[in-house]
Order: sequence, then C-alpha cells, then structure tokens
Amino acid sequence: MQIAGSKELTEQVLSQDLCTVCGACVGLCPYFKVHIGKLAKIFDCDLEKGRCYAHCPKTDVDFEQLAQALFQQPYNGEPLGIYRRITAAKAGDKTGTGDFQNGGTVTALMTCALESGMVDGAVLMDSDGLLPTPKLVTRAEDVVKCASTKYMAAPAVSCLNEAATDGKTNLGFVGTACQLTGVAQMRLNPLEKADFVDPVNLTVGLFCTWALDTRQLMDFLSTRVDLKTITGMDVPPPPAEVFIVKTGETVVEIPLDEIRALVPKGCGVCPDMTAEWADVSVGAFEGKTDWNTLIIRTEKGEQLVEKAVAGGYLVLDDFPAEGLEHLTLGAGNKKKRARDNVAKEEK
Amino acid sequence: MTNIAEHDKNARHLLMGNEAIARGALEAGVAVAAGYPGTPSSEIIENLASVSGKRDLYVEWSTNEKVAMEVAAAASFAELRTMCVLKQNGVNVASDFFLHLAGSGTRGGMVIIPCEDPGALSSINEGDSRHFSRMLEVPLIEPGDFQEAKDMTKWAFELSEELRCPVMLRSVTRLSHASGNVVFGDLPEVDHKARFQHDGFILDPDTGIMCSAPVDYRHGLQQEKIKKAEEIFETSPFNTYTGPEKPELLVITSSACNLYTREAVLLLGAEDKVGILKLGTTWPLPPKLLEKHLAMTDKIMIVEEVIPFLEENVKILAAELAGTIGPKTFYGKRDGSIPSTNELNPDLVVAPIATVLGMTYEGVPAAYTEKALPLAFFNAPSRDLTFCPGCPHRASFWNIHNVLSLDNRNGFVCGDIGCYSMAMLPTGFSTLRTMHAMGSGTGIASGFGQLGRFGMDQPVMAVSGDSTFFHSVMPALVNAVHHKADITLVVLDNGGTAMTGFQSHPGLEIDAQGGDAKKLDIRKICESMDILVRESDPFDFEKTQQQMFDLMEIKEGVKVLILKQACALSPEKKHTKKFEMKVVEDACRGENCGCNRLCTRIFRCPGLVWDAEKGTSKIDDAICTGCGVCADVCPVGAIDRKEVA
Repeated sequence: MQIAGSKELTEQVLSQDLCTVCGACVGLCPYFKVHIGKLAKIFDCDLEKGRCYAHCPKTDVDFEQLAQALFQQPYNGEPLGIYRRITAAKAGDKTGTGDFQNGGTVTALMTCALESGMVDGAVLMDSDGLLPTPKLVTRAEDVVKCASTKYMAAPAVSCLNEAATDGKTNLGFVGTACQLTGVAQMRLNPLEKADFVDPVNLTVGLFCTWALDTRQLMDFLSTRVDLKTITGMDVPPPPAEVFIVKTGETVVEIPLDEIRALVPKGCGVCPDMTAEWADVSVGAFEGKTDWNTLIIRTEKGEQLVEKAVAGGYLVLDDFPAEGLEHLTLGAGNKKKRARDNVAKEEK
Repeated sequence: MTNIAEHDKNARHLLMGNEAIARGALEAGVAVAAGYPGTPSSEIIENLASVSGKRDLYVEWSTNEKVAMEVAAAASFAELRTMCVLKQNGVNVASDFFLHLAGSGTRGGMVIIPCEDPGALSSINEGDSRHFSRMLEVPLIEPGDFQEAKDMTKWAFELSEELRCPVMLRSVTRLSHASGNVVFGDLPEVDHKARFQHDGFILDPDTGIMCSAPVDYRHGLQQEKIKKAEEIFETSPFNTYTGPEKPELLVITSSACNLYTREAVLLLGAEDKVGILKLGTTWPLPPKLLEKHLAMTDKIMIVEEVIPFLEENVKILAAELAGTIGPKTFYGKRDGSIPSTNELNPDLVVAPIATVLGMTYEGVPAAYTEKALPLAFFNAPSRDLTFCPGCPHRASFWNIHNVLSLDNRNGFVCGDIGCYSMAMLPTGFSTLRTMHAMGSGTGIASGFGQLGRFGMDQPVMAVSGDSTFFHSVMPALVNAVHHKADITLVVLDNGGTAMTGFQSHPGLEIDAQGGDAKKLDIRKICESMDILVRESDPFDFEKTQQQMFDLMEIKEGVKVLILKQACALSPEKKHTKKFEMKVVEDACRGENCGCNRLCTRIFRCPGLVWDAEKGTSKIDDAICTGCGVCADVCPVGAIDRKEVA
C-alpha cells in the first residue's frame, strides 16, 4: 500500500469529487472535519504520510492485504467477497420491535453483542433531525433507536476514530462498504504507530448500492416537503423505481432517476455492494420485506449469529438458490460498473 | 518627550516631524484641530490633544476625514485658525467637501495636512494627494526638513488668511516620523473668540454666506487667489537654491527628497557640479523663480516620490518659457531615471545623478551584496507580519476561517482597514479576499449579496473594526439592509482605533482630549435598522462559531455578529494576564500525524514556540499575554490554562 499525506488525499479524492464522507479521515486530527454531510479540510497539513490517506477507501486499497488480515486467505474478487455462508434472518422476540427497515437483523445482532459482552460499545447511525449522525451506543436498549436506513452518506468512521482516541476498545461497528473498508484499513495500523490498539472487535456490514449526498438531498427534498416532518425513507424493490419519503400523514413518491442524480460520484467507483470487509453483512431480502439477507464471513461472525439465535435475538431461515443468483448478479454488476467508471476516470 | 507647548523661544529641540508641525500650529495660535487617525499622521492630533487644555484648543478625532474637514472648516468660518490632519487616502475621503470648500473660501486660517506614505509602509496604497491641490485649485506647500515643518505650518495659517482659501501642507512618513532639530519660536497669547457672520451681503467674504456658488463668480475668485499665491511664492524663503552659479545639472526637489538629494550630492562630492532648487511651494509653481533657475543649465532632474507631479508642472513652465530659456533635457520619472513607485532614499538619488554627470559611484559594492544576500537569506529568521500575542483578531479569524471551511461552499470575507487587514496573510489564516478603502468591505459585500440572482451561491461575509464601522461602514450597511443583501457582517470590536495607537472613536465614552463623550452602541445602531444582531466573545470558539453558522443559515438580508474582546495592547489589558499557560509535554502530539503542530504551524500566536529538540510546543512566558485561547486550539488538550488568582 502506497501511503501519502493529506495533500495527495485532496488531489486524488476530494478534488476528484470521489469522497463518500465515510469519516475514515475524520476524528484523527484537526484538519479534516465533516459538517452537514460534507467533508472539509480546514487547514493544510504538510506531513508526507498521514492516516487520512492510509485509511481512505477511495485511495488505492490493497484488497490482498485486507483479505489476509481479515480472513487469512487470498482475495478472490468474487461478487460477494469472501464468506462462509448465506442465510435469511430476522429479529427474534428477544430483540423486540422497532422501526426496522426490513427484518431488524442488524439491531438483533448488535443488541446481542452488547448484552453478551462481545462488545462494550457500538458505533451506529443515529439521526439529528434528518441528518444522519453517528453515535457510540453502550446500552443494548439504545440500539433499536438507531434502526432504519438513512440513505445519506455519513461519517460513521469518525465516531469510531474519536472513541479510539478516547482510549475505548472492544467496539462494534455498523457501516456500509466504504466505511468498513476505512475501518479495515485503520485496523492494519498502516502508519505503524507504536501506541496503536485495535479498537474494534466486531463489524456488521450493510448492503449498499449507493448513498445520497446529504446536502443535495436536503435541498432537493426541501422543495417538496417540510424536512422537519419526514419520518422515514425507503426504496421499494424493483420494478417500483421510486424513492419514498414518509411524513406524518403522507407518502411522497419521487422517481428514482431524480434521486440517482444526487448520488456522489464516489459511489460510482465503489466495487463493493455487500460490505465485504465485515464479520457479517446484512441487506434486504428480495421478495420478503420483513426478512434480511445475512452473509456470515468470519468465525467471529459465526459465533455472533449462533449466540444471537441461541439467545432468541435472531431467527434464521434458508436462503433460496434463486436469491443467491440475484444477489450475485447485483453485486457483480456493481463491481463491473465500478471498473468501467474507474477506467472512464483514468481516460 | 518634548513638551511642544513650552514657552522657551529659541530653544532647540529634537522633534519628530509631526511634533514640529503641531508646534508650528501652536505658534500660529490654532484653535481647532480635527482628524481621523492614520499612519503617518496620527501624532499631530495626539500632540495637540495633549496640550489642548493648556493652549485652549478644541481637538477631536472625528468620525471620518470628511467630517474632520467640515468640523475644522466651521472654525475657519467663525474666524478661528484651524486645521485638518489626515493620511493620504483620507484626502480622498474628504475630497468632495474639500472641492466645495476651495470654492467657498475660508476666513480664519485653515490648513489641511495630509501625511503621506510613499512606499506604503503602513498603508495598502501609495496615494499622492498633491494632485488634489491642482485639481481643487488650492495652494500646496511642502516642508523640506524638520525646522521647516514647524515654520511652514505657522506660515500656512498666515497664507490661508491672506488668500482666503485652505492651504495644503504635505508631509511624508520620513518627515512625519523621523526627528530633527527644531528651534522654537514664540507662542502667542491665546484668547480665541468665535463668531460666524452670515448676514451681510451674500458675496461678501467676511460677512456673506459660505458657499461655492455662484460658481462662475467664486471659481473666478479662486483662480485669482491661485495667481496671488504664485506671486507670493516667487519670494518665499522656503524656496532655496544651493550650488554653483552655472551647475552642470539642476535638481529640482521638495519634501523629504530634499534631504536625499543633499546627501546624494555630498556622497558624490559633486557640490560644484550640481545645483539644488529646493521648493517649499510646489503648487502653483512660481514662474519667475523657475525661469531664473531653469536658465542656469540645460540638464534638469526632478527628484520626487510616487507620481511625477512636480516634474509635469515644471515641464509645463519650461514649455511656456522655451523661447527664453531654450530646450532642456529632463531626467525624472518619465525617462526612468527616478523609480516611479516606492519611496526614495539617497542611494536611489545618487545613481541617476552619477549617470548624468558621467561619474561612477558604488553605493553598495557588488561583492558585498553577493555575500550579504545569501547570509541574510539563510541566517535571518523569516518573520511574517503577525497579530500580537493575545490579539482577539487571531481568534476571530480562527472562528471565521473554521466556519467558512466547514460550511464548505467557497464562502469568503470582504476585508476592511485596520489591524485585521492582516487577515489577508497567514496570521489571519488568509481569510480576507477583498481589501480596499475604509468601509469598502461592507460595500463590496452589499454588492456580492445581490449576485445570488445570477447563480452566486457562495456565502458572503464582511468584517469591520469598531472605528471603521462608524467611519464609513454605516452607509454601506444601510445600503445592504435597504436592498436586502444576503450578507453577514462581523464587527471586530476591540474597543478603540487600535492600529494607529488606540485613539478614541464614537463607540467610546472618551474623546481625543480625554473628556466625557457620548458613547454610541453598535448593536443598537444595527438593531434600529432591523438587523438581526448577535454578540459573542471571539475567545469562546464554540459559541462564536455556532452564532456564525446560525446567522449564515438565515437566507436574505443582513446579519451582524459583534465579536467583543479588547485589544491585547489596550490600556485595560496591557500587562495583565488572565491565565498562566503551560504545555503538557507528554500530551503534546507535536509533529505526529494527528496534530502536526497545529498551534505553532497554523495558529501561530507568537506566544507559542516550537521546541524542536523536545518535539513539543512551549509557551514563551515573556510575551504570552495569558489570553488562554490556545488551550482550545490544541486538538488533544495538551495546553493547560490556569486562572491567575
């Protein structure tokens, strides 16, 4: 991995508009900060090598190194990444109910991880009004408050960085592919800092096709609804082709094409739909909206799922072969699109 | 410091040029002096203010230069001797009134004293107000040394009374701020009596109305005055010639350039070849005097700073006199002999004189320069212009820079004139993006604030000091409010006209003479215009930045944030420390990833220094003012502040 500094990060990522505001460079130093969903470099830093560059998922990521570190095997380049098994899952009775996007699997897993002591805290995505705001949750009952998809690019990793700076360890982390790539790189201690301690014990990945630029989405929505009244958002499965915004009384349908215009350019070069650098990954289950697809990738992931099932937090079901085919196709398409876009960029 | 109000006639004192001018005014029995602070002029009003009680003067720091000239003019109309003191660009501010004053004429002697800054040592312009004398048709005189600074000031009042028009007496930094010997003259008994006579025949200069109309009549009168000035100047003792009867080269010069020329001729040992015509009366030029001297030789050099004002006027006369004096070769700015920008010095004058005379003179040997340059480059520490330790502006611009960076919409700040102008530089995080005249920041912002309709989506901010606010921001602010410009004005209220030496302004309870003054409240002024006003202490980063975000969030209309914190050099703060500061060395991240010397590399308060050996920051206790701000700059809390009991 070629490590450079903030100057190169600015040239190669920020100036190219490739930042997806994952927050991997935030919370480490005084120079990079996020304000209302947008990354800002406050001052120039002239260090030749920085964690900002080393952790960023949009610089050259060494997949081989990550695969060895996380899975102790070579990177296979498969659409779904390295995994042990795939299953259908949803929250069990022990998890309770909440404002789940689908089956509540993420809430179930993190509630179990916290209650069982597998982690001492978890970085989840809460909201401040409409604005996604990462939060370090230490009580199991608070996990459910962070349920539901936010659809906006948000700096989850910054919260983990800040917690690590505060000396916190044994943390869980929930995030999308870019965020998890940042976390995976951070865990490699690429700058070989002598005092480095890996703060993470468990990672849950979220399937992600794209996220939306926070400021652009807010501007866009503010011309259609009163932002303060929004209670949730959803992208129903194909062939709906709409983006749904729920307010107290009404549901506003927006053609998906109009929404896609708000996707950051950086999402277009992302090859990872299923959050490959996680212990487990969770996404929607095609055809059954109250279930999730659960990909178990590591032994730790397996232990968590077993514990969650045994404890009644999680219920599993078979994952149909047809579903796997679709999922693989979708993930493969994202990889292909990313390759094409990168090639276009390089031209 | 010499007491300029001493009565010891014939005593010799070492006086600053500005003190000499003030003494000259006292010897003339001046009754009223008004000005607006501006380097290099400020000490004249300060000196007069300090003796105002003793000499029965009224001295004020006016709101701006135009008002100062109007205040001074009123005294002239009431038959008192009066003066207005300003820096070069201040004449521009006052010039509209000045034009009309030249037309209306004066009664009591009135002297306008611009002190100018060739080389812009403490300005952001190299304005040359001499053209105003020709443009507005008023006489211009320029002292050539310190004694003349006093003597010509006194004479200027007499001249003004003789001509019934304002007289411009121009000084420059090297005269105003350098010192020289001055022999005192008499101080008159003072018994000022003011009365404005206005009910006589309307055209009567003593009892009629004071007005520049009827224009045709008064303008004609004004030109007669200039003719009369020409005659008076023919025999003025302030125009002197030194040199041989038939010099090879005649140098015509004035002001501080007189001193440079004299030194240059001495350095060359060319006293027998060069004649120096030093002019004290530079507009209108006395034609007969010029004719006599131009006839001495065919080679004429004009030595002056900035614009070729004297050169052009001499050339006009030489053209008119060509039949009698014959053709001349001129050396000056037009042919490049004399640099056309920046101030001069003896070396810059020696070179062209030597060239004309075919002499060689090496001011600085080439070998010396060759050695000295790299030595200076590698050994002298590089020092930027910087805000003082504990300066509230550093904190204010830290807040502004951070907010605009985080906001991340390519917002910018329109700058204005004061110490905070330095926020164009790294000491203010290069925050200011436009910088022009006093008050222009808000005026320009008012214009930018209208460009949203053309797709400009960048946030627009302006800054203004407290004194600048009263000087000329107010009309711009009225404009912005009236036209609903979408701007945020940040008033940097440090409690005085700090840059020029903490002079009073309308926001304070004190005036130039130290007396009780009515204090105007910037917040109330803004609120009376229905502006949304917030106030914060710039040392409180969190509150200040939140206020800025909140105000910028509000679209349409003017928002004002007043940042209040006294200047670190203000009388109330000087030599006091609120906090004892200390760097916790173990916690300091130094040059490591995660900090990279934020405090000493970016924030750069001079009170913080980098200890390269230890690899940590440390406090320079000798100059730290204990403001405590850097504790909030450090990303890891490695700077401790302990309240001083």
